[in-house]
Amino acid sequence: MQPTSEPGLPEALHRFPKTVYTEFQKGYDESSKRLAPDQVEAWAKAGVEIAEHSFRSWESATEYFRASPLVLPKLNFEQLMLWAQWGRSLAATSPIVSSAFFRATPEVLDRIPPETIGQWAGLGKGLYRSTWKSSSLAATFFESSPKLLQSVSLFEMEELVVFIDALAQKSYDLAAECLVLADSVFTKVDRADRKAFLGLASALARNNWRDVKPYFEHAPRAIYRVEKSQRPRYLALADRLARVSGVNVVTFLNESADALAEISPEDHAEMLGLAEQLAGAAPTAVGEFLRGLPTVLDRVRGEQLVQWFDEGLRLLKENEDGGMAFFRLESGRSEQLLEALSHGINLERVKEVLTMYCRALAGQDVELQATEILKERKIGWNSAEEATTEGSNIYLPVFIDRYNSKAENFSWFKVISTHQVAHLEFGSFAFSFDRPSAVYAGREQRHTRAPIVEGRHAISDLQRFFDSFTDRRLASDIFTLVEDGRIDHRVTVEYRGIAPAYRRVQGEAVAGRPAPNTLPLREAAMELLVRLSLEEVSPLAVPKAIALQLDAIKQVMRVMQSPLATIEDTAEATIRLYEVISRLPNVLQPDPEDQEQQGMEQESNEPDMEQLEKMLQDLMAQMSQGAGQPDGEQQKYESPQKIEFRGEFKPELVQALEQLRDKQKKGQGELDTKGVSPQDLKQMLEQSVELDLTDGQEGDLDQMAAAFVDNLMNQVSQEQQQRSGQGDHFPHVPDDDAPLSAKEPQAYLYDEWDFRATDYKPRWCRVRERRMEEGSTDFFENTLRTYSGLVSKIKKQFEMLAPESMRKIKHLPDGDEYDFDLVVESIIEKLAGDTPTDKVYWRRNKVERDVAVAFLLDMSASTAEAVDESRRQPDSGDFPDDPRDYMAWLRNRREEMSRRSYKRIIDIEKESTVLLITALEAIGDHYGIYGFSGYGRENVEFYVIKDLAERFGDSVKKRLDKITPMHATRMGPAIRHAVAKLDRQDARTKLLFLLSDGRPQDRGYSREGVEKEYAVHDTRKALIEARQKRITPFCLTVDRSGHDYLKTMCADMGYEVVTDIHSLPSRLPQLYRRLTV
Amino acid sequence: MTTAPGQTKSLYRHYIIEEYQLQKEPFYLPVHDEVQVFETAYKQKLPVLLKGPTGCGKTRFVEYMSYRLGQSLATVKPKGKGGAAAAAGNGKVGMPLVTIACHEDLTASDLVGRYLLEGQETKWIDGPLSRAVKTGAICYLDEIVEARKDTTVLIHPLTDHRRMLPVEKRGEILEAHDRFLLVISYNPGYQNALKDLKHSTRQRFISLEFDYSPREIESKVIEHESGVPADVAMNLAKLGEKVRHLKEHGLQEGVSTRLLIYAGKLIAGGIPPRRACQSAVVWALTDDAEVQRSIAEVVATIFA
Ligand SMILES: Nc1ncnc2c1ncn2[C@@H]1O[C@H](COP(=O)(O)OP(=O)(O)OP(=O)(O)O)[C@@H](O)[C@H]1O
Ligand SMILES: [Mg+2]
Repeated sequence: MQPTSEPGLPEALHRFPKTVYTEFQKGYDESSKRLAPDQVEAWAKAGVEIAEHSFRSWESATEYFRASPLVLPKLNFEQLMLWAQWGRSLAATSPIVSSAFFRATPEVLDRIPPETIGQWAGLGKGLYRSTWKSSSLAATFFESSPKLLQSVSLFEMEELVVFIDALAQKSYDLAAECLVLADSVFTKVDRADRKAFLGLASALARNNWRDVKPYFEHAPRAIYRVEKSQRPRYLALADRLARVSGVNVVTFLNESADALAEISPEDHAEMLGLAEQLAGAAPTAVGEFLRGLPTVLDRVRGEQLVQWFDEGLRLLKENEDGGMAFFRLESGRSEQLLEALSHGINLERVKEVLTMYCRALAGQDVELQATEILKERKIGWNSAEEATTEGSNIYLPVFIDRYNSKAENFSWFKVISTHQVAHLEFGSFAFSFDRPSAVYAGREQRHTRAPIVEGRHAISDLQRFFDSFTDRRLASDIFTLVEDGRIDHRVTVEYRGIAPAYRRVQGEAVAGRPAPNTLPLREAAMELLVRLSLEEVSPLAVPKAIALQLDAIKQVMRVMQSPLATIEDTAEATIRLYEVISRLPNVLQPDPEDQEQQGMEQESNEPDMEQLEKMLQDLMAQMSQGAGQPDGEQQKYESPQKIEFRGEFKPELVQALEQLRDKQKKGQGELDTKGVSPQDLKQMLEQSVELDLTDGQEGDLDQMAAAFVDNLMNQVSQEQQQRSGQGDHFPHVPDDDAPLSAKEPQAYLYDEWDFRATDYKPRWCRVRERRMEEGSTDFFENTLRTYSGLVSKIKKQFEMLAPESMRKIKHLPDGDEYDFDLVVESIIEKLAGDTPTDKVYWRRNKVERDVAVAFLLDMSASTAEAVDESRRQPDSGDFPDDPRDYMAWLRNRREEMSRRSYKRIIDIEKESTVLLITALEAIGDHYGIYGFSGYGRENVEFYVIKDLAERFGDSVKKRLDKITPMHATRMGPAIRHAVAKLDRQDARTKLLFLLSDGRPQDRGYSREGVEKEYAVHDTRKALIEARQKRITPFCLTVDRSGHDYLKTMCADMGYEVVTDIHSLPSRLPQLYRRLTV
Repeated sequence: MTTAPGQTKSLYRHYIIEEYQLQKEPFYLPVHDEVQVFETAYKQKLPVLLKGPTGCGKTRFVEYMSYRLGQSLATVKPKGKGGAAAAAGNGKVGMPLVTIACHEDLTASDLVGRYLLEGQETKWIDGPLSRAVKTGAICYLDEIVEARKDTTVLIHPLTDHRRMLPVEKRGEILEAHDRFLLVISYNPGYQNALKDLKHSTRQRFISLEFDYSPREIESKVIEHESGVPADVAMNLAKLGEKVRHLKEHGLQEGVSTRLLIYAGKLIAGGIPPRRACQSAVVWALTDDAEVQRSIAEVVATIFA
């Protein structure tokens, strides 16, 4: 190939490295094909000019020539020249930029129209600021353009450049990084939102450029979670917040979007409206508000929501901390308002009332818990929403918001718990083969159906019963409906007051059900059974093919309405219904029109059992011959739709649990082969339809079975432990700031006072009450021996206060003895003609003591300090914050303790308690002794050494022995718990005696600065609460520096600092006497 | 011994002792074999201790037994008001019943007797216990744990083989009449170390344990005593049973038959059942708002 008319050109190129010329030649071939000779010349000349422009611009020229063959088909000559010109001008700034520009052009031209090429080039050029870094940024721009333009329009690119430019002013590296990221980010952001997205990015670049990258990474996901039409608005809000200090936009986006994702998209507009309103008043509260929304919207909406919101807004103006806490939902005011405004009911709120209600009805110590808890135990219950029972406790959903009023929602709660209690009260789980049926007495079939087979072993009678059916699912469905129907009927008959609420719920349950004539025949029959069990009486269209069966089902269900009917009758009814229904083919009615209206009302007269049995036999004979049964395709049998208010009913599982409980009670901790073996349990797991294996995680059956068996065993032994009050809980530390729930038994929630917000944080602390372990009585006896002198002195002192102590009262109209002075006076009066006084007696009057006192002992780690100065322990009770470190620390500490030979503060506390007990027993006051410690607000441990109602005895002595230094000191909740106990006492005088060794401290309660104050204020508040309940609090501390905080904590209340700890044993009883006489 | 009202004017203390006779047999539905056991104890002269919660029918049982054991019954109460007393010595006193409610101010003299000033002289007046000992009555000391300890020991010689009552002030000893029987009652529910019965007292009696009767019996009692229809009585009995489950779980005591009868009477008088139960049961039992609410829910479940 030879150079053309102007031979100077190629010559010029020879001055540059060879590649330039090579590329020129390739380009020349292509351009000659497409351009006129003069144009070719112009093209070549442009290349030479680029190459000659500066020292390294030959590189750009190489790229120019190399790109040309690819570019030529896409540009006309003018555009080509313009392109070259842009390249040259870029080369003037930096050959790297220009090279990148040329290199990118061929691909870029696939995405943008040729006439816009200058616009694009201009964007890149704009980024150049005559520094090396800026040139590299501009080059990056061109390099990433082809990819970027796949997802972005040129127009959007302009926006992007504005942002990149802004960012570049803070950090070129970051700007370049963002350019590279841009394409993947943009693919995740909808077109419509890009402008706003970039706008916010620019704002960040200006104000908080370090947040830009996390923004790039997180924002797209966040935006995506917001309802489409609301995204620009959402971003604008974020933009607004970004301009305010104290708001981290990325955190805001992440958290608020998570929250918005939890609520319905239809609500987004309204919620953002509120958020905008809030942004005006308190931008920092917006995030808190949005974050709390899922919880809030569960409880209030519309009008009520706005009321709640307005109150928060008002509060913000009044007291910022208070307002923030309000929106953070860490405020009593907020909580109360929500409660007042909402229709829904939290289980937590009604738990106490319903527990007592259920106990009253059931006549046993049922506990009420959230169904979630049962689900977590993985012993066969899989639903977290349905009410149920495992035979000893009742489980309910945590929140009910079905109706538009609290009263109705409560009524629902009451109905579902009544249904569950009825299972206990009317013996749903008491099924026994041996106990005769009541209405089917003498006609039982279950024994012949399910004979005892050698070598086959069923855990429970119910398992044996269900084993006798080929179609276990059908049998179980029938059994459940018959039994639920039986107990519901019993409830409405026995408890006339609740009957209307029950009827309503039953009616609602019928409302959403499928029409029987739309179902295959077997399912249609089951549907009829459902309606009969719900005592639904309105007539129904029933397929003609099951008219006879309906009659049979009706009569069997009528029998079950007898007040005598028991669970054993349910079993008999199940057998009979199964025989009828299982014989029905599960085919669709061939002719849908072939149906008739059937009355569903039950006969009022007593059913005749003889006749019923005969009728059933005839029907079965008839059905066996296949008379009147339609053919068709058999459909898979589907269980009837669930009836919500009845929740889950798992009698077979409950009976199995019951067996295990029995065993446990009999003290055979280990399972043996005779009673219930793990094999048996596994077998049950495989067979029972009450256990849904598919719901568990993947894994082989054996493994799952083993886990299930373990869980069951755990359950039973835990129940056992709880009963003896020694559940062992390892402190667990959830670190989110949210109210707690007291899902476990023996756990109590208390509010905590936040003095900054001047409001309670609702349900903030969980107090776990447990009985102290028992040690030996040695400590008690030894103490008595050591202090024998003091003991007898104290005894004497207190016996003198004993209730029979008498005071002489004179001037009585009636009494023990004459007061002779008065008698004489009276006689004189009479003789003198006056009306004589008749008040001539005196009497010793009993000054009765009626005192109840709770002693609260601080068992914090610091009480491990040696009393004796010279042997003082090095650490002063400061413990690590991290739970893992903490456990290690605790272990160490325990080891040290066991080697101890010196006296600790706690030992003196204990000794003093022993002496006090002597005193109290002498005087006969009611008293309780409790220890407290804990770790964090969710683990305030409250140990019962002697409960108020309990009598003193050896076990109290043994428990006292086990008092030992534990963890931290969160006084508030411990005081509140003790106060709750005292409040239930009847005594005229009530005292709360707090014995501590230092200021309150705990994780998130007392560390540094303001937190220290927080603890003191909360404790003070708890003491004030005590006083409001007419309980006199008294604080005694052995902390020599006690004066400073006790003054705040106990201002105007009784307190004392014991400076010489050795005087405590004598001082404590002394003080007590002073306080109560 | 007895002074008719109006005859004497005591300056310092005025005792009018009422005596009256029941015309009818008191209504009592036996729950177990308590009637036979009591009868046998009486024949064998064994003092009887009736244990049981408040309002479960102890007093009624004693009344019934004394009627059964005698032909007629007389109740003698200490510290009665003057005026309406029926004429004393009304002739045939079959088996008198002397009921004494014990309280912390009850002294030995209140039981045994004391000197009164009359005019310029003093006069001895027998206390109800002495009267019962002399005439051969059933003496029923209600709520014995409420009495002072020095009062309680007074009955010791009466309750063992000696069967006698020392009258210290007069330097006398009264020997009990053949028909005399001491019956005491005691509510073990208090769980109070101070108000426990001393063993030396308690082990002088045979014990009959009472409790609220089962639904079927209790509903008949309520029906009879209050006049409500059987189904209402049954519901009240049901309520009683349920509420009693709450004992120790928020309630110190279960609801007494007495209160259920009150509720029945209110209903019989036209008060709607839920309201009647609120007054006679819910509010009567406790001041704790939560517990009240729980019981109210039970009431609402039972009564329409
Ligand atoms: N078995 C019963 N037969 C008849 N009436 C009964 C029976 N049980 C209880 N009552 C009724 O209960 C009510 C209370 O009984 P009563 O006054 O005898 O109680 P109490 O046990 O003496 O109580 P307290 O210990 O408070 O004195 C009476 O009205 C009585 O009619
Ligand atoms: Mg009585």
